[in-house]
Amino acid sequence: MATKAAGGNNKRTEGRYAAARSNPRQSVTIRRSRVKLTHVMPSTTLAVEAVDLRKRYGDEVALDGLSLSIPAGTVYGFLGPNGAGKTTTMRLLTGLSTPDSGSVRVCGVSATDRRSLAPRIGYLPETPPLYDEFSAREQLDYVADLRDIPTDDARDRIETYLDEFDLAADADRRLGTYSKGMRQKTAFIQSVLHDPDVLFLDEPTSGLDPRAARRIRESVVDFADAGATVFLSTHILSVVEAVADEVAVLFDGRLVAEGTADEVRARAETGASASLEDAFLAVTGDAERPESDATQGA
Amino acid sequence: MSLRRDLRHGRRIARAEFRRSIRRYAQNTRRLVGVGFAILVFGGYLLFALPSAYATGLTARSLDAIPLFGPVATAIPVFLLGLAVLRTMERISRIDAAPLVLLTVHPRAVVFGLVGSELARLAAWFGVPVLAVVAAFALGLGAPALLVSAPLVALPLVCAAAACGYALGLGLLSAFRRLPNVRRLAKAVGVLAMLAVIVGSQFAGQFLVEYGSSLSTLASRLTVAPVADYVALAFFPTPLGRPPTASALAVGIACLALTPLGLAAATWQASHLWFTDAPGRDTTHASSSGWFAAPRPFAWRPAGRIAWGHLVRAARQPQEFAHLVMILFFLGPVGTTLAQSSGDALASLVAATGVGLGTYLAGATFGLNPLGDDRPTLPLLLLTERSPQTLVRGRVVAGLAVGLPVAMGVPLASIPSGAAPRSAVALAALGIGTCFAAALFAVGLGSVYPIYDARKFWGTETVVPSTLVLITYLLVVGVGSLVCLAATWFALTGSLVLTPVAFSVAGGYALFTALVSLGSYRYAVRRYRQYTMA
Repeated sequence: MATKAAGGNNKRTEGRYAAARSNPRQSVTIRRSRVKLTHVMPSTTLAVEAVDLRKRYGDEVALDGLSLSIPAGTVYGFLGPNGAGKTTTMRLLTGLSTPDSGSVRVCGVSATDRRSLAPRIGYLPETPPLYDEFSAREQLDYVADLRDIPTDDARDRIETYLDEFDLAADADRRLGTYSKGMRQKTAFIQSVLHDPDVLFLDEPTSGLDPRAARRIRESVVDFADAGATVFLSTHILSVVEAVADEVAVLFDGRLVAEGTADEVRARAETGASASLEDAFLAVTGDAERPESDATQGA
Repeated sequence: MSLRRDLRHGRRIARAEFRRSIRRYAQNTRRLVGVGFAILVFGGYLLFALPSAYATGLTARSLDAIPLFGPVATAIPVFLLGLAVLRTMERISRIDAAPLVLLTVHPRAVVFGLVGSELARLAAWFGVPVLAVVAAFALGLGAPALLVSAPLVALPLVCAAAACGYALGLGLLSAFRRLPNVRRLAKAVGVLAMLAVIVGSQFAGQFLVEYGSSLSTLASRLTVAPVADYVALAFFPTPLGRPPTASALAVGIACLALTPLGLAAATWQASHLWFTDAPGRDTTHASSSGWFAAPRPFAWRPAGRIAWGHLVRAARQPQEFAHLVMILFFLGPVGTTLAQSSGDALASLVAATGVGLGTYLAGATFGLNPLGDDRPTLPLLLLTERSPQTLVRGRVVAGLAVGLPVAMGVPLASIPSGAAPRSAVALAALGIGTCFAAALFAVGLGSVYPIYDARKFWGTETVVPSTLVLITYLLVVGVGSLVCLAATWFALTGSLVLTPVAFSVAGGYALFTALVSLGSYRYAVRRYRQYTMA
């Protein structure tokens, strides 16, 4: 896994977005000032470790023995059809919900240890958690304050991010008047403001225009290049194909495929020229797959 | 260290939540008008209350002890605790943008913030009036020191009640989540209990006169002496003061101790409630088979079919009609009169109540927030072949389908109970007219101030009509119906001589009602049409 991740990082560094970065107008540089907020990472190299997660809602099985081991510095693309259990997984990994059984550790910290976990993770849910009554600047200042980021440092970062995400001119407008893309960018900034070690993103580019989607995508790459781990759940397979080192496919609460995009394609036996979409449809289309066979690729 | 940090975060959250509340009001002109209206109404009451409070203070100068002080003082912490539990369940059981806040700070800080912001909101709403009344009383008593001693005594009580009430409220919500049947039962019991309180309040004066001595004996038995002694500390620097007792001090210390204990319990409850999910999703009634086929007579016209859609949705999601419970406040006095009546009068009163209730339901069920209720489907509805008139008529018909059976059925059903058939039929006929008028009036009134956002109302998160719209509707339709009922009643009993002048007045009133209702209906149609163009 670690080798794959390293390979993935190299792939990113070589740069699918090299062309985009060479264009100054499109360049987004995430300045991660990790010196001030660096957390003492445990000796383990695993950023996320989930063991045999099970979750039921009444008669419905949301997760059925899900295990994940994600090395630090990986962009982990998490795919699955609607209702597969992706959001439930994210809620369990971030500690927002508790599993019926199984355990989660993020950067070596148990997900139940909220005080230790909070500074290590950032989370951007599908619906951006913003207050319509605040302006973007107020919202980010508020979050920075709750994150205990020193005021001067926080304001520097906020101004930089607002500038980089083309929000500076509208930073004093109430968020209630923002477009979906502007809201998503603001929510993205607030999720990375404290330089988390692991960033969980749930459909970060869904419904965004191409420019805004590219901004977020590039930020994900830059963020991972700076050493952080990104757990990216999305339906947009091209995004995963573009930025992910590892891809996992969740189906009916179980992991049915995991590996690099090439490995998943090979696993789905869709041929070398097939797209990730073909592979995704292949591994999620056959519900009768034997369990041992289905999880072998994990 | 972590406590200090949580306190700081809590203060920051409280400030942010309070500021958001203010901005929510300030950014909406119609909300501001509503607040201004409320201030005018309640400010008027306050102006009348201040001289009374001053006079009470003057009277108290010559008293050795305040009558019923013990039971009232005992009731204060009970009332505060109940209020805190209700507000917790209704409003502050969760924080907005929870995924952000809960992954940023400790749940204890969120508890501090939510309780703090709620106290700030209550202080903003009620702080000035309460202080004004206390000040008037203190001036009358000739003891301005009461203005210092009363807050000093009240503060520990309020803090303890807020902390313990929050823990209790969250505990109840956790229990209800595990036991949904108990939750439904508790809601029903709550509505009945409120009705009982409203009806009971009508008899309170009568009881006090008839059973005054027995009631004061009962009240003195309910007095918790240490609590009364503690509250009495507020009067220590006044002529009514009595020396502090050890039990009073013990209650004060208990309040101080209960505050952190309550907050600790609330944090534990909050962690449990916020980081766990409901055990199961009830899917037993979440499916249906067959096509969408409206029965006759709804199937005859497009508006009828739209009305049938509203009725089906209402039956499947009755919680969206929580606002209808407002009628209980008005039924209370009627219930008192009913309970004191008998024979023919009782049957006639039941018939008239049926007309009033049916009229209320005809407009209030589907008409008081038409644009807000239709908001999720408006882009679809407005781009169909159906005209705005049909959409609005659909709501009117749905309201009539609920209101008419009550307005006509209850009078007719009262005949076997002793109501004169002629009166019952006349009231049923009147019910048809008032239901039509109310249903048409409601859609226009509801279109004036549509509410699009869901909010907690009686424990249910739903889009409910504006309170201002609801009260206006109750006043207009209530008064209008009463006039109609009274005129019909007097005409039936022969008390009203049917002269040409009386006919003219009645005809004029009917014409005015019809014009107002039709004008209101046309306004609703225009709002739908403008929404199309917007």
